[in-house]
Amino acid sequence: MLDLAHIPAFANLRSMGDGRGVIARERRGIAVATVMARKGQSAALAAAVKEQFDINLPLGPHGSGSDAMSFLGTGPGRWLVTHDAGTPRFVDSLAQQLDSLASVVEQSDGVGLLRLSGPALLEVLAKGVAIDLSATAFPAGSVAVTQIAHMGVTLWKVDEAPTIHIAVARSMAGSFLHWLEASAAVAGLVVDS
Amino acid sequence: MSISRRLASGGLIDRSKPINFTFDGKTYGGYAGDTLASALLANDTMLVGRSFKYHRPRGIFSAGPEEPNALVTLRTGARGEPNTKATTVELFDGLVASSQNCWPSPNFDLRAVHQLAGPLLNAGFYYKTFMWPAAFWEKFYEPAIRRSAGLGALSGLDDPDTYERSHAFCDLLVIGAGPAGLAAALAAGRAGARVIVAEEDFVLGGRLLSDSAQIDGVSAASWAALAEAELGTLPNVRILKRTAVFGVYDGEYGAIERVSDHLSVPPPFAPRQRLWKIVAQQCVLAAGAQERPLVFPGNDRPGIMLASALRTYANRFGVTPGQRIAIFTTSDDGWRSAFELQKAGAEIAVVVDARTEVAPDVRKLAGNAPQFLGAHVSDTSGYRRLTNITITDSAGQTRSVAVDTLGVSGGWSPSIGIATHLGGKGSWSEEKSAFLCNDLPPGMQLAGAAAAQWTLTQALENGALAGAKAASHVGLGLQAQKPILAGDEASGNNPVWLFKGSRRKAFVDLQNDVTATDVALAAQEGFRSVEQLKRYTTLGMATDQGKTSNVNGLAILAGEIKKTIAETGATRARPPYVPVAIGAFAGLHSGKHFKPTRLTASHAASAAAGATFVEAGQWMRAQWFNAPGENDWLQSVTREVKAVRSSVGICDVSTLGKIALCGSDVGTFLDRVYINTFSTLPVGKVRYGVMLREDGFVMDDGTTGRLSADHYVMTTTTVNAGKVMQHLEYCHQVLWPELDVQMVSVTEQWAQYAVAGPKSRALLQALLGGACDVSNEAFPYLACAEFHVGNIPLRLFRVSFSGELAYEIAAPAGYGEALFNALMQAGKALGVTPYGTEALSVMRIEKGHVAGSELNGQTVARDLGLGRMMSVKKDYIGRTMAAREALIDPDRPTLVGLRPVDRSQRLRNGALLFARGMTPAPDNNAGFITSTAFSPGNNHWIGLGLLACGLERHGEIIRAWDPVRSGDLELEVVDPVFVDAEGARLRA
Repeated sequence: MLDLAHIPAFANLRSMGDGRGVIARERRGIAVATVMARKGQSAALAAAVKEQFDINLPLGPHGSGSDAMSFLGTGPGRWLVTHDAGTPRFVDSLAQQLDSLASVVEQSDGVGLLRLSGPALLEVLAKGVAIDLSATAFPAGSVAVTQIAHMGVTLWKVDEAPTIHIAVARSMAGSFLHWLEASAAVAGLVVDS
Repeated sequence: MSISRRLASGGLIDRSKPINFTFDGKTYGGYAGDTLASALLANDTMLVGRSFKYHRPRGIFSAGPEEPNALVTLRTGARGEPNTKATTVELFDGLVASSQNCWPSPNFDLRAVHQLAGPLLNAGFYYKTFMWPAAFWEKFYEPAIRRSAGLGALSGLDDPDTYERSHAFCDLLVIGAGPAGLAAALAAGRAGARVIVAEEDFVLGGRLLSDSAQIDGVSAASWAALAEAELGTLPNVRILKRTAVFGVYDGEYGAIERVSDHLSVPPPFAPRQRLWKIVAQQCVLAAGAQERPLVFPGNDRPGIMLASALRTYANRFGVTPGQRIAIFTTSDDGWRSAFELQKAGAEIAVVVDARTEVAPDVRKLAGNAPQFLGAHVSDTSGYRRLTNITITDSAGQTRSVAVDTLGVSGGWSPSIGIATHLGGKGSWSEEKSAFLCNDLPPGMQLAGAAAAQWTLTQALENGALAGAKAASHVGLGLQAQKPILAGDEASGNNPVWLFKGSRRKAFVDLQNDVTATDVALAAQEGFRSVEQLKRYTTLGMATDQGKTSNVNGLAILAGEIKKTIAETGATRARPPYVPVAIGAFAGLHSGKHFKPTRLTASHAASAAAGATFVEAGQWMRAQWFNAPGENDWLQSVTREVKAVRSSVGICDVSTLGKIALCGSDVGTFLDRVYINTFSTLPVGKVRYGVMLREDGFVMDDGTTGRLSADHYVMTTTTVNAGKVMQHLEYCHQVLWPELDVQMVSVTEQWAQYAVAGPKSRALLQALLGGACDVSNEAFPYLACAEFHVGNIPLRLFRVSFSGELAYEIAAPAGYGEALFNALMQAGKALGVTPYGTEALSVMRIEKGHVAGSELNGQTVARDLGLGRMMSVKKDYIGRTMAAREALIDPDRPTLVGLRPVDRSQRLRNGALLFARGMTPAPDNNAGFITSTAFSPGNNHWIGLGLLACGLERHGEIIRAWDPVRSGDLELEVVDPVFVDAEGARLRA
């Protein structure tokens, strides 16, 4: 039978510079889906998400859930869902669970996911992100669909450590790493495996 | 042997940290805390360059960013940076600088002969002299002028350093950290506001570093250090040193931070400079003021400096620039400079004040130095250094005084440049003798000397008030501020704009060598507005942007045209306020990082297979694959085409846009965006579609497959992927929000490969085994399916761009490389060949398929032979406009196939088409060639073109004229489909 090897988006993530200013880890094996509410089904969808996953469906640029499963609000009636349990065909089952309430589209391979933390994180991200990521303007739980160095990214602030999850288009992983290395090396970029 | 002008003690330099540096090849010593200028002056080196036009010897004039004279080239080789102001360069060990605009040296400059031509080089010289003959301009005059013009020279080497951008957000941006700025930052910072303090200098304090005043019982410099220390303890305050704010934009400020300019080489991974975009709710502009020079004959000699600069060199750097110093002033502040210089240990030879009345308290500041009131300096002498000044007293008597330094003080001009960036304009205040800005950008306040609050007490109070006000604007309560106690000083001024005397030149703009006579000449010749004056004389147009010359220049103009300064007005400052390197704007985006690069999943495997890549938007696509022994692209492409046509080939088509469309109304939605019908498309089928722009022209084409009842996947061309997505979002969100349609791009999710050729089915059968039945019966032309192999979802589409039996197979991108390798492995026995975009293009031209060259925004569906697809049973975007008279004109150019009558000839894209025997002239033009290729199947070049009445002209011989490449040949018009016209192969 056809047996294909999977290559993660950020296979080339590497440490650079001295220090531990930014700590990066690729979130591998995460199922990702775009969930879009069907017409007129937003309330029913929120109820179903609450019932089936015990997650309050966010109605703005916020995230709900945990590392295991989260709904990130990325637009009106639109969420990026991540699931960390490594369940095969998770997105297919999610589509069935939300059938007729939402359209669910597989994106697990469309994005590369990084978990970023470290004392210099916000200073480094400011070199690419044109929005205010401080605790006052972008508290933990906030989500932003924005861009870094002309590349579309989705950011989710997990906590005020700070820890930020970031999703980048897979084809741009190389260009994104160039930006990250160039911006973070001065403070030290460390890959946390 | 040079003399040390360093004072025995004092100054804010660190005498425990000596520094060696080199200027014009000679090694000197300085201290940490010095600028290049202060260190040169400490080494008695005043003369540092030659003037722009006349190559006159020029010395250090100021102690700050307004410097017009002391421009040097910093560093050497690739790191060489011309036109750097020595007065702002922070001294570092091993610094190497050299003078500019002189050869061989500033002491002896051969081009000083320009001075002899001085009378000819007055305002408008170029315009008047190089008028005739006109033909000489481009070939002779302009090159000659360019050779002798310009300051400094670039190395011509790649910049070895990096630049970066950053963003910052705050409640209050304080521009300038002098007394007003520090007071503002303290007030707002203590109230809890997020504050950013941007200071161009490498030490905070501004004038506090140059004055000996006492604040709250400590020295001014100590108070600045204490303020900085307190700000450092506030987590809501950020201090950006070496950072100049250069522009105000809507709610945003641009600033340039010189991160590593004070080091010989940036530390590892550190940029040389950082460009900041600062978003600030409020702003306090506390940029201070600049002292105005005085305009009098011979006022440009080395040794003539701003009086306040002398005081800065003495108090901040512990340097007295001369042995015998004279002060020439129209302001009380000139007397204060005399006082500070004497206090620091310098000898004041004389104080000359143009005013007849000066308060006794002020006169006391000069101590025992001789004083002349109602007098002025009417002449000077000394070539490479000032030796004498001539004083004309109130009775008209003249006397000569031997001095080597003259401090001039004509009052102060508030630094309001950036306050006018959003359209405000300075207005003249007679009371303050200065331009003030009342029309400020939203959220901006002026404080301190920038608001013409001249005295130290005023600056501190005014700054604290502005800071508190800014904090209250962002909702933070006003905290009671303890008053800052400082002495007050006299600040009277009565400006005199031009002093007469000898016939020597009286310079207004030192950097561009504009004299008072030039200003008068401009007025005499009718250039009577400040804007005209500026352009005619180049006043204020040098790299210093006229910081020391603009006000004097326009005041002299006002006198010439008998108007007040208020009536004459000022030119408006534009960003950037300080020069900013283009590299800083580019940041990391230089070279191949100019834009992001998108790589497909097969990139590495393709490269290993010999691919040459081509940019397609941001994507890199394999253009062709070099086989061993091939050294010509056409050779490789021809081999690839032959392999596909005879066996099987693989091409990465992942870059095509892929859009998932979901919901119960997708069929209706597609009917409205495509010219043909999609609501009838069965599950498991694919259909080719064309969409129009609202104006009726073709926008894009592609296939859409129906994977399940309410899940479709649309493909777009690579280049139009973003545009089509945007168009569909617009259609749904704005035009038909009532439809149950959801859409998202899945271009990134799927790696997709075309498997084309008569043996493509055999390859897929070998690859997939029983996972999917790909027989013609189970999976006919235009079928599609989604299935799993293990847990990996795969998609298969039976579509063909080449005209052969062909499929496209897709896997999640993470499996893309493995799938490419598996396809190559499964096809090994069949002779599988990877092919690139060139072979793809050859085959689509052979098949008569339109692509980007034909979908050029000027063609309608009928032009492309797709008119019959336009449904008459439904409405769709572009339908009405496509019916416009000109767009249904039967004479419009339509798609035809073209082949050379002489089969050995090559066709060229863009060649113009004419009827046989017609003269190539615009009126006779009948179209052009859109696409060409060497067709291996036909063994000659073929082409597609748009030809007037093309459908009726099959068989006609026409003329293709290619003036760009000297081509002129005869072509035969044929059907655009060159292979398998009946489509038997793709349905096989």
